[in-house]
Amino acid sequence: MGDLIVGIGEFGASATPGDVLKTYALGSCVAVILVDRNAGVSGLLHVALPDSGINRAKARALPGYFADSGIPALISVMRELGCQANGRGMGAKLVGGASILDHNELFNIGKRNQAAIKQYLQELRIAVAGEDLGGNHSRTVTVVVGSGIVTVNCPGRGQWQI
Amino acid sequence: MSSEMNRLAMERAVQSTPFLSPNALLLMEKASDPDHDLHDLVALVRNDSVLTARLLRVVNSPAFKTLHAITTVDRAIAYLGERMVIGMAIADSAGSLFSRPLQGYECDHVALWRHDLFVAVAAREVSKYCKNEINLELAFTAGLLHDIGKPLVSEFLKGLAGAAVADIESGSCSDYLAAEQNLVGFDHADAGSELARYWQLPVPLEEIIRCHHSPCRAAAEVRSLVYAVHLGDIIAMMAGFGTGSDAMQYTLDQEYDRYFDISPVDLSEITILAHEEFVRSESVFSQD
Repeated sequence: MGDLIVGIGEFGASATPGDVLKTYALGSCVAVILVDRNAGVSGLLHVALPDSGINRAKARALPGYFADSGIPALISVMRELGCQANGRGMGAKLVGGASILDHNELFNIGKRNQAAIKQYLQELRIAVAGEDLGGNHSRTVTVVVGSGIVTVNCPGRGQWQI
Repeated sequence: MSSEMNRLAMERAVQSTPFLSPNALLLMEKASDPDHDLHDLVALVRNDSVLTARLLRVVNSPAFKTLHAITTVDRAIAYLGERMVIGMAIADSAGSLFSRPLQGYECDHVALWRHDLFVAVAAREVSKYCKNEINLELAFTAGLLHDIGKPLVSEFLKGLAGAAVADIESGSCSDYLAAEQNLVGFDHADAGSELARYWQLPVPLEEIIRCHHSPCRAAAEVRSLVYAVHLGDIIAMMAGFGTGSDAMQYTLDQEYDRYFDISPVDLSEITILAHEEFVRSESVFSQD
């Protein structure tokens, strides 16, 4: 497959070592990276908003747009690659969820995204193994399948791994 | 180079920027007049054979599933909306300004146009929540143009993105605009308003460009519009449509709630609609 670019509200997974999953410019959006080491599968989801209840039609058309419809959708494609349907055996890493400077509660969608995703993962008993959340900067995420390496790039700040 | 020398260099850079076409200017001027009607714009578009051809090509493209071919300018404008026509005129006239890589902000050549287009559609959506009536088409045009100063400032900020970020992290600058001032002696809102004056843009647009990060400073008669662009800009950055190192590095002017009534659900809906409209609009501007 090579490189898979995951856009806003999209998700993808691979079981081929060396494949790259990438999503660009997370602002208040959050990237959910799920890894099942036993099955050798990595998945990446780009969540824009916390709750699909505000627009069911959008959730049907683009389930990855919301935390509560996106995580099960990602697990579903990972199941097709050999993972368990209930998410058992998976670990998560989370990146993004930033806010602008001097924001108020209304404009802190990043924080609401983080909370919704963590709550959903907790219900599925998927542990969060690493995170780079919050702050006031945009992030691009790259996942190398099979390596467990998640790289974060940020203009003006360089890159780091979680 | 000192701040004063930088400022003079910026003014020279403004004066060496190609003019917008007279027709694009006239279109913007007409559209910003609250009393204009469609026929005013139709007459202007008909005088521009390149724009007419592009308009008809776009409206009859597979992206727009028209039942029958549209062959007249008035029907094409009615179908696409005034904002698309003005967007095309701006893109035709100043496309090279919008498609430069912004090295000073560490972003590629498509980032600025995508950011501006997202701000345009978001500002238009936000305007529907304003407590007083706003010209939606003008909000769109202002969104497209609000960051015209960035390509100019970018040239002076090359290699300084890390320093700008560090200035904000350390608390010595309150936001990226202040960091630009600190590092080069002017900011992209200053540079943009200089360019707007040079281009002789309609006064409301110049004011929006100058004040889009500080809408409370804008003249009272355009303040609602400036807030619409300010909020559209913030929504664009939150949605991932920033311009590199400055993304998310601006403050929210919380006085917006004197002019807008927006709930958390409204903000989510604005984000969704802006994203969908962005995808549609981007297809219009890539029909070449």
